[in-house]
Amino acid sequence: MISDVLRQLKKDFLVEFRSRAAVNTALAFAGIITLSISLAAGGTPFSTLVQAVFLWIILFFSAMNGLLHIFTREEEEQTSLFLSLNVPAEAVYLAKLVFNIAFFLVIEMVTCPLFIFFLQVTVKDIILFVMTVLSGGLALASAVTMLAAMTARAGGKGSLFTVISFPVVLPVIWVSIGATVESLQGSSGDAWNSVVFLLAFSGAVTAISFLLFRYVWYDE
Amino acid sequence: MPVIIEGTNIAKKFNRKTLFRDISFSLSAGQSLAITGRNGSGKSTLLRIVAGITSPSSGSMTYALNGAALERYNFFSHIGFISPVMNVYEELTGLENLRFVGGKKDDDAHLAILDRFELRGHENKAVRLYSSGMKQRLKLACCFLNDPPVLLLDEPGMNLDRKGRDIIYSYLDSVRENRIIIIATNENEEAALCRGRIDFDQ
Repeated sequence: MISDVLRQLKKDFLVEFRSRAAVNTALAFAGIITLSISLAAGGTPFSTLVQAVFLWIILFFSAMNGLLHIFTREEEEQTSLFLSLNVPAEAVYLAKLVFNIAFFLVIEMVTCPLFIFFLQVTVKDIILFVMTVLSGGLALASAVTMLAAMTARAGGKGSLFTVISFPVVLPVIWVSIGATVESLQGSSGDAWNSVVFLLAFSGAVTAISFLLFRYVWYDE
Repeated sequence: MPVIIEGTNIAKKFNRKTLFRDISFSLSAGQSLAITGRNGSGKSTLLRIVAGITSPSSGSMTYALNGAALERYNFFSHIGFISPVMNVYEELTGLENLRFVGGKKDDDAHLAILDRFELRGHENKAVRLYSSGMKQRLKLACCFLNDPPVLLLDEPGMNLDRKGRDIIYSYLDSVRENRIIIIATNENEEAALCRGRIDFDQ
């Protein structure tokens, strides 16, 4: 199983590195939207709640297209059958999940500094902020990987993906925004519970998705 | 490696239209079957059902290896499958695609099969730069790489020149005694490689 996951991960990273289809689009979107908000605000200071909402909206919409792309590319290029015959379904899921987590991490590493710089954000509790962004990203990537597979297998595109993702990712974004506000204000209070919730959410969703993935992946 | 495939009363419907029904067969190592018929008659669909990729609307497929029954998904690692609607990764090179299929096999095995399909010299070129015939040869190389006991070939000669077809035919001749071979085709030349036949036109 591990060798199958590594074999597929290597393939996915090579394909993405050579085409750069998903990451370039996501980074361009993140940069443009952050800059647009900054220019539109014209130096007006936002409340910490508005700043946190902006951060998660930028992260969510920047990443959505790329997170879906990992599965839709297999369908569009007619390689999903080739993949199905050569790699067990569980290994496909784990490799796509790891890829999506790494992808979201790259988006966060680029978006967060831009967000802090252009929106003149002051982070009072850096450790909590970093942990919130990482655990929120992990939860989002975990939740949408299975949904991306379902959307791609149904022949759906981005619009369907965003619609069916919304109810699943709403609690993640809600909790992440709350914890981000606390990290910006420096009043950590219950925010660490939010980080624990996000990590637990990721674990639960990953476990369920791992067990159910073959029913989505294979044509029943 | 004794392998047995059995199909019992296989039928496939799309919406209310019956594509085919009551297809039964039993194949063991050394036997071969051609599936022929007009376009849209269900040749490729039947081949996908035999491979376990698609479920039949009714009837059942059973697979056995060394006397033990196998679940259809566990059977995937024992088949070599090729189809016009299945592509290899175009961003990868020919050699990288073979490494993906071959797993722990060393590069000597990959280069040997590339040699057999006359793709040596192109192994480090991205597949998107291959001609359609070269892509078909690479798909066949991927299909045959792991010496699977069951070969399910949907129009294997598509886009191939005479030499490419001769390579497949000589390969199939060399392995037919201990493999199950099923070919879905419109070409009489390919159908003649098999001893049994399901003809959807009759």
